[in-house]
Amino acid sequence: MSDNLGFALEGAWKVLFAGLVLGAGLPLLFALGIRSLAWGAGGEAEVHESGVTGPKAQPIGTVLAFVLFAIVVLGIALGITFVVASGFGKALSFEHIYPTIVPKH
Amino acid sequence: MTESTVILALVVITALGFDFTNGFHDTANAMATSIATNALRPKVAVALSGLLNLIGAFLSVEVALTVTNAVVKIQNSDGTPKETLTAGGGEALLIIVLAGLVGGIIWNLLTWLLGLPSSSSHALFGGLIGASIAGLGWAGVNWNGNGTKLDGVVGKVILPALMSPVIAGVIAAAGTWLIYKVVTGVAQRFTDNGFRWGQIGSASLVSLAHGTNDAQKTMGVITLALIASGDWTDTKNIPFWVKVSCALAIALGTYLGGWRIIRTLGKGLVEIAPPQGMAAESASAAVILASSHLGFALSTTHVATGSILGSGVGKPGAQVRWRVAGRMVSAWLITLPAAAIVGAVMWYIGDLIGGLGGAIVIFLLLLAAAGYMYLRSRREPVGHHNVNDEWDGVPAEEQVPVTAGGTK
Repeated sequence: MSDNLGFALEGAWKVLFAGLVLGAGLPLLFALGIRSLAWGAGGEAEVHESGVTGPKAQPIGTVLAFVLFAIVVLGIALGITFVVASGFGKALSFEHIYPTIVPKH
Repeated sequence: MTESTVILALVVITALGFDFTNGFHDTANAMATSIATNALRPKVAVALSGLLNLIGAFLSVEVALTVTNAVVKIQNSDGTPKETLTAGGGEALLIIVLAGLVGGIIWNLLTWLLGLPSSSSHALFGGLIGASIAGLGWAGVNWNGNGTKLDGVVGKVILPALMSPVIAGVIAAAGTWLIYKVVTGVAQRFTDNGFRWGQIGSASLVSLAHGTNDAQKTMGVITLALIASGDWTDTKNIPFWVKVSCALAIALGTYLGGWRIIRTLGKGLVEIAPPQGMAAESASAAVILASSHLGFALSTTHVATGSILGSGVGKPGAQVRWRVAGRMVSAWLITLPAAAIVGAVMWYIGDLIGGLGGAIVIFLLLLAAAGYMYLRSRREPVGHHNVNDEWDGVPAEEQVPVTAGGTK
């Protein structure tokens, strides 16, 4: 019982950490992307006083938004690669910082 | 055809039946939030989830033959069945597996009838534990593992069940809180449209992961039965027809959609807005993938429920129906023992009658229970047409067409 509890707690921290980075971090980037997109679109996309026209459109915001969305898509692609790789007996390794597919040990 | 071949056929059919209930019980985990926020129309959501489960099931080529080892001692560590159980065509093992599967299915159907998202893996493990206790005694259960890694009923079932919803909830709450901080000042119509896309993406990832994780369990159980009866010998591979039939069973089940459970998860716990839905599904996907990467067993249901609760806690001013959450948690707590009791009773009945007759009686009892619960569900049908109705009280004028128009 106590052995199991130790292993479980040890694992729980890792899952919590990875989960916060991927499960809350990627949505945060996505939200920033939405925000930039709205900034880029200007006008009715942003909350503004009624009666006046909305803020001016900022094209740089649109560019920034798509950069952020691209990062999120890469994150999801990494997730799918992981599912597929582990299905075929491979694992993702982060030892070179960028992910590589290696045989599962 | 010998007696044990017929029992084997019953085990395979029952296992596929379990896989099917596993599918429709868990549609909600991936799709409840997308359906609740209208990111996807209900029919489209279950079709997408079913398709991704099918693909996911084929991606899981890893051998899951030792799945029962986590909780019961009916297999050796290399996946072959214990020799003491395989005498006479493997009947002893087949009856334990059959009784266990029946326990799992009956509990899955009952919780579906009540609209409670309980864990299908707990139901399966519970049934197997009960049948093993009945058939082999208390020593037939792997309670604690051997102390070298996370294992046994405690390590693979109880501890993950306690921890995973909390972890998923914390992540979803953090994600929701951050998202709402970031998008203040952006018009709601604009954010909702954007986050619906995020929701669809993250929910798809959960569906795919579900197919790879859960279909494997049934594949492992069927292959174990085939080895026990001597119809398969390779412990490194799973027969192709087993993989195909399990993948189809879980995908069809998912496509059928457990609308009652979708309704509870999507509308009952929290009124979900698209940003919350995306935070919840991302948290679920991240926890499921991180855990399986690290080799931890967990239940998708527990993770998804924890995430949805977390998204309610994280949104300022959101209402969480804690009474609904309380009902769910109590269902989780009794899932394992309840399925175990059904599994054990089934084993005793099968053993009392003995042999093929026993197996057939268990199977007929399953059919009777399933038929009864299906008929009960028809009294208050929940389907794609009314899955998103307001949780607190359906307006009277809406109740009339539901009963008058039939249920087709």
